[in-house]
Amino acid sequence: MEKGGGGKGGGVGGGGKTSLKSIPTSLGGKDDNSAKSKRGRKVQFNTEGLSEGKFTFSSKSDGKFETTCGKGGLTKGGKGDKVANGAKVSVVKEALPLELRVEQELPKNAKCLMDCEAAHILEGIQEQMALLSADPTIKIPVSFDKGLLYAKTHSHFTNPQAVKGLFQSLSEHGVTDGEICVIANICPETVEEAYAIVPSLKRMVDERICELFQAKRSRLNDLLKEVLIQLAKFKST
Amino acid sequence: MFFHIVLERNMQLHPRHFGRNLREHIISKLMKDVEGTCSGRHGFVVAITSVENIGKGLIRDGTGFVTFPVKYQCVVFRPFKGEILEAVVSMVNKMGFFAEAGPVQIFVSNHLIPDDMEFQSGDMPNYTTSDGSVKIQKDSEVRLKIIGTRVDATEIFCIGTIKDDFLGVINDPTTI
Repeated sequence: MEKGGGGKGGGVGGGGKTSLKSIPTSLGGKDDNSAKSKRGRKVQFNTEGLSEGKFTFSSKSDGKFETTCGKGGLTKGGKGDKVANGAKVSVVKEALPLELRVEQELPKNAKCLMDCEAAHILEGIQEQMALLSADPTIKIPVSFDKGLLYAKTHSHFTNPQAVKGLFQSLSEHGVTDGEICVIANICPETVEEAYAIVPSLKRMVDERICELFQAKRSRLNDLLKEVLIQLAKFKST
Repeated sequence: MFFHIVLERNMQLHPRHFGRNLREHIISKLMKDVEGTCSGRHGFVVAITSVENIGKGLIRDGTGFVTFPVKYQCVVFRPFKGEILEAVVSMVNKMGFFAEAGPVQIFVSNHLIPDDMEFQSGDMPNYTTSDGSVKIQKDSEVRLKIIGTRVDATEIFCIGTIKDDFLGVINDPTTI
């Protein structure tokens, strides 16, 4: 049973491969396991070729993710290869864009800082550093100066608290801290720019459409627009 | 992006530092040890903002050194895949260009520079569009997207792209 499924799978995989990467279809001759793993990998190439086609870096982690999912799909689907394939394709689609996943990658006790907040904190420390620098054993590390310089030159706002309050409405709509920080740091001028910079905003809105109703999207659009207008005001002052 | 994070570290201290200034000694050693370091998980530790708690010391067998568990808050800088950053170009060559965002170095390969930009060699190597309207050279500010990271013991290297909407040069140093 399983072997038959594997064979079929191999055939499908081979077809996909020739069209994609023109690797010789020697797959059919191989045993089940290798066929499975190859298929997993093939799917990963697939995503790359279609969506990004950019870099091996991102493929590493994504690749792992894909293979595990692929296997899960197989066991679930059992012999029904087409079902398994369908499941996989949908998974692949979700993983397509290169999105910011700050929350998943960072421990829980971490809090994102906007550049202006960071600049604020670091400037405070710099004052203390001036006192400390009398002690020759303490050296101010290069990365501190670089970090401070970066935070200073890229902080568009002088009042972090006000900016924070501004984003309150967005975070109520499920925009994560990480996304908010990127928006605040880049300070986009239009809603389109904001979506281009934080593509995960779009996905979230789409989910919301499924869950709730269409009005949400325009609501978020409006909110975003308003926030950006307000941001521009802060920037000028 | 910057983060505020609580970290823990076991500090080993020589017995000669014990006394009234024990806490100060621990903190100054912590600053010396931690600030400016870089880990793949947390990124560059830019500065310690406060020490939350110093636990009970444990005497090490044989040496007399004492280990204190220290909990501290610090500001870290870590780049993320998918993050958009504004960076300053530090070097341009025919392979692409390097840019710096704070303590992080980012390389943008010429495959990830828009196709209409061509490399021009000379004393000021640069990438220029055919009509000459956009130029990337040393000290240009670019907005880029991070697509890959590699972590070293002491540094984080990133691969970036400017081949996307709303990415590219922000200002041109020659026009200012």
